Order: sequence, then C-alpha cells, then structure tokens
Amino acid sequence: MASVAFQNVDKNFGATKVIHGITFEIADGEFLVLVGPSGCGKSTLLRMLAGLEEISGGVVTIDGRKVNDVDSKDRDIAMVFQSYALYPHMSVRDNMGFSLKLRKADAKLTTERVARAARILNLEPYLDRFPRELSGGQRQRVAMGRAIVRDPKVFLFDEPLSNLDAKLRVAMRAEIKALHQRLKTTTVYVTHDQIEAMTMADRIVVMHDGVVEQIGTPLELYDHPDNLFVAQFIGSPSMNIVEGVVRRDGGAAHVEAEGGVRWPLASSAGTDGQPVAYGIRPEHLSVVDAGTADAVSAEITVVEPTGAETELLVKAGDAPIVLVTHGRTLVRPGDTIGLAVDPAMVHVFDRTNGRRLVRSAA
Amino acid sequence: MSTLALPPSGPLSVALSRNRLSPWRTWGALMLAPYVLIFLVFVLYPVCYGLWLARHPQSYVQLANDPVFFGSVVNTLVFLVVAINIKMAVALFLSGFFVTARPWIKWLSVIFILPWAVPSIPTILSIRFMLNPEWGVVNQLIFRLTAEDGPNWLNDRWLALSMAMTVHVWKSLPFWTMILIAARLAIPQELYEASSVDGATSWQKFKFVTWPSVATLYLTSTILSMIWTLGDFNSVYLLTGGGPADLTHVLATLGIRYLRLDQVDLSMATIVCALPLVLPLVYFMMKRLSR
Amino acid sequence: MKAISAKKVGTEAKLLLIAVPVLIWTLLPIYHMVLFALSTKEEAFSGHLWPDHPTLHNFSVVFHEQNYFLNHFWGQFLNSVIIAAAVGALTLFIAATAAFSISRLKARGGRLVLNCALFTYFIPAAFLAVPMYKAMGLYGLLNHQSALILAMVTIAAPYAIWVLKQASDKLPFELDEAARIDGASPLQLFRLVYLPLIAPSLVAVGAYAVLLAWNEYLYAFLLLSNDADVTLPVGLGHFLSADDSPWELLMTAGLLYSLPPAVMYYAFKRYMVSGLTAGAVKA
Repeated sequence: MASVAFQNVDKNFGATKVIHGITFEIADGEFLVLVGPSGCGKSTLLRMLAGLEEISGGVVTIDGRKVNDVDSKDRDIAMVFQSYALYPHMSVRDNMGFSLKLRKADAKLTTERVARAARILNLEPYLDRFPRELSGGQRQRVAMGRAIVRDPKVFLFDEPLSNLDAKLRVAMRAEIKALHQRLKTTTVYVTHDQIEAMTMADRIVVMHDGVVEQIGTPLELYDHPDNLFVAQFIGSPSMNIVEGVVRRDGGAAHVEAEGGVRWPLASSAGTDGQPVAYGIRPEHLSVVDAGTADAVSAEITVVEPTGAETELLVKAGDAPIVLVTHGRTLVRPGDTIGLAVDPAMVHVFDRTNGRRLVRSAA
Repeated sequence: MSTLALPPSGPLSVALSRNRLSPWRTWGALMLAPYVLIFLVFVLYPVCYGLWLARHPQSYVQLANDPVFFGSVVNTLVFLVVAINIKMAVALFLSGFFVTARPWIKWLSVIFILPWAVPSIPTILSIRFMLNPEWGVVNQLIFRLTAEDGPNWLNDRWLALSMAMTVHVWKSLPFWTMILIAARLAIPQELYEASSVDGATSWQKFKFVTWPSVATLYLTSTILSMIWTLGDFNSVYLLTGGGPADLTHVLATLGIRYLRLDQVDLSMATIVCALPLVLPLVYFMMKRLSR
Repeated sequence: MKAISAKKVGTEAKLLLIAVPVLIWTLLPIYHMVLFALSTKEEAFSGHLWPDHPTLHNFSVVFHEQNYFLNHFWGQFLNSVIIAAAVGALTLFIAATAAFSISRLKARGGRLVLNCALFTYFIPAAFLAVPMYKAMGLYGLLNHQSALILAMVTIAAPYAIWVLKQASDKLPFELDEAARIDGASPLQLFRLVYLPLIAPSLVAVGAYAVLLAWNEYLYAFLLLSNDADVTLPVGLGHFLSADDSPWELLMTAGLLYSLPPAVMYYAFKRYMVSGLTAGAVKA
C-alpha cells in the first residue's frame, strides 16, 4: 500500500506532445479513477506509471520513491489489462502463480497465495481450467487474481470492464469495489465510462487532450464542475447547455439566448453583455403550465417514458433541451409547456474559455 | 469472447523498443546475432566472393562463343515460359477440383502431395528409367500396343527438354496447388451463393468471383515459381545429365558443369548472366512481402 | 427426382474424369519405383506392369549392403539422419531467436535482417551453390559434415524466420507486457511464454528444415565427397556412373530413402500445410 505522485509529467510520441505537465497525488489506499474520452491520455498515463511507457518529462513516485528509471517488475505494481492478457497455455492456477514462479518463490507460498486469491474471487472451482474454457467475467476475475497474488503496492486497471456486456459490467463494478474495500490497496483505475467513475471512485481525475480538467470526489464534480468539459462529461443524461448573453439592464437578471428566449439567472457574477454558456441539469428542470412567470416556454418534441422516470426532449426557441421528471406525465409531443428552472442549480460558464463563472448558490 | 486483442500499433510498440531498460535491448541484439552471423559468413561473403570470381570480361566472351551457353539460355527461357504457365494453369484448375467437398477427394489430395514430399533422386531416376528407350515401361507399352518402337525420349533435345519440364511440373505442382487451394478457401461462401441466386454459370462464377480474389496471389506465385524454376537443378541433371551432348542444359545445371570442368570463373559468369533475369523478379517479390 | 440424380451422376462422372488421371499421374513414378524394388533385374527390364514373381530379394541385398554401390548404405543413411536432425535443430534455434527478437523485442535492425532473410529465400539455391562451395573451401570446411549442415541451415533459416515472425505477430503484445509486469526477464519471456505459444509453427518449421536437408542432392554432392561421409542421395547418385548398374537395387534403396520424408510429412501435415502456406498466402 502506498501513495502515488505525478509531478509535471509529460509524454511525447516523436514530435507530438500528448501529455502536458500533469501533477496530482493519490493517497495511500485511495481508489482513484482516471476518466476521459478516447485519446485523452489516461491509458498512456497509466502505462507510464506501470513502466510500459517511457516518461518524457517530470517525475513519477510510488511510496515516495522515484520510479522513472525503474523496471516494471521492480515497481511493486500489478496491472489488469482490458483484454485480461491471460497466458493461454497455462491453467488458471499457473496464470495466477506465474509472477511468483518467475521469482523462484517457495512452492508452499505460491500455493497459499493462489488459494487465497481464488477464495476471495470465487475461482476455486476453475483453478485447473484454461482461459479458453472460461467466460468473460471469469477471465476478468482470473486477471484480478493474478494481480492480487502479487500483493503489490498499487493496483492498476486499464478499462477492465470494456469487453463485458452491460449486465456483467454492473456486477463486476460492485465486485471490484468490494475487493478494494477488503484489501485497501491503492488503486488507479482507467475508464472512458463516467458512470463507472462515479460509482467506484474515491476521487476522479477528468482528463482531456492530455491535461487534467478537474480533480474531485464524484459529487464535487457533479455539483460543482469547474469548466464546460467536466460539466458535460459527468452526468447522464448530460447537462443542458444554452449559449446566450447576460442581461442585467434593470428588472430580473437573465441570460438571453437565441430567439429572445430568457433563462432566469439568480446569482451575481457575469457582467452585462458577457457571452456565457448557461448550464442546467435535466433533473433540475420541471414542467409547469405555459405562461407561468419566470418559466421558459418550450415545445415538446419526444416523450420517453422509462418506467420510473420520464425523459422529455423539448425545444426552447431553437435550443434542444432534455429534462427528466419522476413518475409519469400527461404531456404529449407538440404540447407547449413552461420549463421551471431551479435557480440554485444554474451553472454559468464563460463562453470564451469554458471556465465556471458562478458557483450555484448552494 | 477472446482473451486476445489486437496488438497496439505504432507509437506504443515503438516506445517499448526505445526503452532505455537495457536487458531487453541487449537480448534483442543477442538473439538476432546467430542469424546475422550465418548470413554474413555463408551468404554475404560467398556472394561477394562469387561476384569477384566473375569479374573477368573474357569469361563472358568465352561464354558468348560457347554454343552450349547459348543453347542453355534458350532452354532456360523455354523452360520458364512453357513449364511455369502450364503448371500454374493446371494448379489453378486442380485447386478448384480439390476444394470440392467429397471425402474421397480429400483422400486424393493427401496422396497428391506425395511428389512434393518425397526426395528427387529416386523419383526422377524412376522416371528416367521409365523413359529408357530399350527396357523402359513406356516404350515397352508402346511396342505392345502399336508394334512400333517408341521414340528415344532422352536422346532428342526437345523431347528430352519436354520430359525435363514434365518432371519439374510433376514435382512442383502439388505445392502450388496447395497454395491456390488455400486462396480459394479464403473466399467467403456467400459470394458464390449470391452469384448462384443471380443466375451465374460455373464459368461466370470463376470469372467474377474466384478469379478476382486469387488473381494477385496467382501472379505472385507465378513470379516466385519463376525464380525457383530458374534454380531447378534436379529436374534436368537427374533426368538427362544435361545431355545429349550438353544440349539440354539450363543455366542452373550449366554453372555446375563448368565447375566440374574446373572452370570456376565461367561457372560464376554463367550465374551472373542469369542475374538480370532473377534480380527483377526477386525485387518484385520483396516489395510484395516486406511491408 | 430423376432429373436431380442424373445431374448428380453427371457431376460425379466429371469429377472422376479428373480424379483418375490425377491419381495415375501422381503415383506412376512412385509405383514404378516400387515395381522395380520388387522385381529381379530381368523382370524389371521386361516392361511388365507387375512382376510375375515379386521378390523381396532386393531389399535383402540392400539391407546387407551386398553390392559394390551399396557398400556404405547404412552409413550414408545414418549420415542423412544426423545431418537432417542437426539442420532441423539448428534452424529452429536460429529462427526462433531471430523471430522473437524481431517480433517481440523489436530489436533495432530487425527489419533489415528480415529483408536480408527474405532476399536469401528468394535467390535460387542452385545459384548460391557454387559460391558456397568456393567459400567452404576457403573456410576449410569442405568434406566435413558441418559444411553441409551449415549450408542447409543457411538455406532453410530465412523461410523459417519468416514463418515464425508471421506467427509471432499474431500474439497480442499485452501478453508480453503482462509478463514483464509479472517480473519476467527476456529469457524467461522467451522460454515460458513465447515458445509454448508458437509451438505449432515450431513443429512446421522444424519439419520443413528436416525435409529440406534430407531431400537435398546438389549441395550434398558438391560439399562432401568421401564415400563414407556422404548422404544417401549422393551415394545413390553414384549408381549413375556406370551404364549397367543394378538399377533395381537403386530403386529399392531409393524407396527406402523416400519413406522417412513421406512418413514425416504425413505425421506433421496438419502443422505444415497451415504453417507454411500461411506465410505464402500473405503475398
């Protein structure tokens, strides 16, 4: 168990810089998720930590020790790959015990560790099977078992659930989280799926184009996104963003969008005439009668009942808006309704640089 | 779902090689060394030495004046053009035959490989004996059927050369047939089924489905076969020994003939003369295969 | 119903029309060899398609080396075995290490080496024979078995490397990474992960090299001369030096010489066909 630190880490592939001065720390025993769209550099960062990629600039430390020039096998880490990378010609037992065999460890120790890992992961009936005889979920567990047997300081996961079907993914998510709670090993987990990030992480690092957009706990990122990218990346369905201009010319402050649509603005930042991006999450909008004061007029395009909730796609002026309501609703496509905005939940971002202008008054 | 995924392309795998972690680098070089050594000692040096031996201009003058040389060149060209095209066409045809799904055809294809698998000496000599004008089975059979003497197969230049070509085809046909079978098997069945629905005849199916898929491989195989046929020493040497009177020599056997006459420089010069034929073909093959 | 079966019969007939000539064409020379082996000299020359009195006497003569040309039969047979085995083993070693280095370790200069190998593979062996013969003379290796072994390895290795490299490229790189993280050194990776996973290709390549060496005539006859040291095909070639040699004995010995490669091919057919044609079909 150990802490991990990245200080000003850069990565170049030839002349192209793909990782720019990344700096952050991971506390001992923390479950940290690196999340971001494809190509943001999260896997590259993980592989640099694993020693599978050279570190072009900056320092990476594990447990206070600089590991830039240390070979993978001496970093005391274990990695679970997206495609599991199980040795096809070895049984489950041999796969899990391989690292110990390489170190010429005591046979008794190997058996013990493998048995313990198999017990934790419910792999005992499969110890003598071969990878090709196992299902995707079982192979995933063998890959984790291989990592556990190493008893490393840090666990690294590289999109381990991407190859599983949706239902299995949900089940494995819970298993990995439970494993972490039991073993308390520092874990760095890479995924492109923000739901995985939200449900599993102690803290999340959102990456985009080789830089860190924001670091925080899941709810911090959800409630107080620092910039437009994080605001739209976290949360599903994603936050509604309307482009407009702040108007404070006497009367209630509002953001005027295209077509003269007025969105209520309760807080104080954002100067008159400033171009902004107005953000409001689907669950913070509600349906009221058309013409209600302070409500935004909108026409319903699609009604999607999912059973417990109803997703409504509407059009306010020209802007497509999504809102989510609990339970059922009586509205139909083509109806004109009013959108009531929860003023405390409004996010305003500077349109020129995407940064948050105003924290919604909580 | 497979545990195996595609290897990373480009940057990732390159980065691994630029890794400063030296044991991997060292072993990379160390493990390449045995072959490099073999190549330097037994290919590069002998080739350079051979070319050096072929440096005298008078060798080429001598060759030009030697009727045997000229005859060999003609023989070689005839051999290449006729034998290869017949062989590849038959291979293409038979590949279609062998992919037909019948159990007895499968057994036949297993037997069909024999000429390629067994060594040349006994089989080619067997054919030589079959063609013996006095007591060979072929002429004996002809006599029994027509009460006339069969031809002297190996004593006439063109007959002998044709027989040598036949031997060559006999030996190498299975290999190329196998290659074309593999190519045919790679064509998805659906294409044939769709063409059936569209009303295509067998010939049309070949022309529009089979041929476009195997054409490239057919061409590559023909080129490669040309290179190897140029080097086919056994078919001529074991059947005719280059005779009668050195009339059936090809470039491959001619080089050895000069060597045995202790005229090494002529031997090498012969090989050098064959290079303008060989090198362009080799260049073509290398461009195709080394990506 | 009737129309369909007539068509079926037609198709079968067409197939047979092709099959029978193919069968005869393929087996005729081999059958002829067997024919001679089972006949006395007079019977062989009589042109019968099957001997009136088939005899195993020729085999006995060959086994007991009871003829001038067969004096060293078993010795030569053994030479062929030893040389073929040595070529197989050495080729496997050289090709496996080179392919591992090029494909997994991504050694510098790997592409160049691969191209050199390809080039050697495409040059007809008969053209390389004379320079090889002179070079072996310079190296002082003429008439030693090692000359033939090394020459054959030189000829077999390029294709072997090519086939193994193709097979290696199919292994996902993540296996190597997982092994490295597990703590494997390059040698451990080679021994414990790589070799087991390309085992079928190793069999194909080994069989290919062994067959190549066993069947080789030209190089054997150029590089070796001492009767006791030559391989079997060279020994058989000596029969041709006289006009009235016992051809039926030659065919008998030839038949025995042909058996091991035929057996070997059939034993390893599964590996060889896929392993070797895959390399070529890539083109």
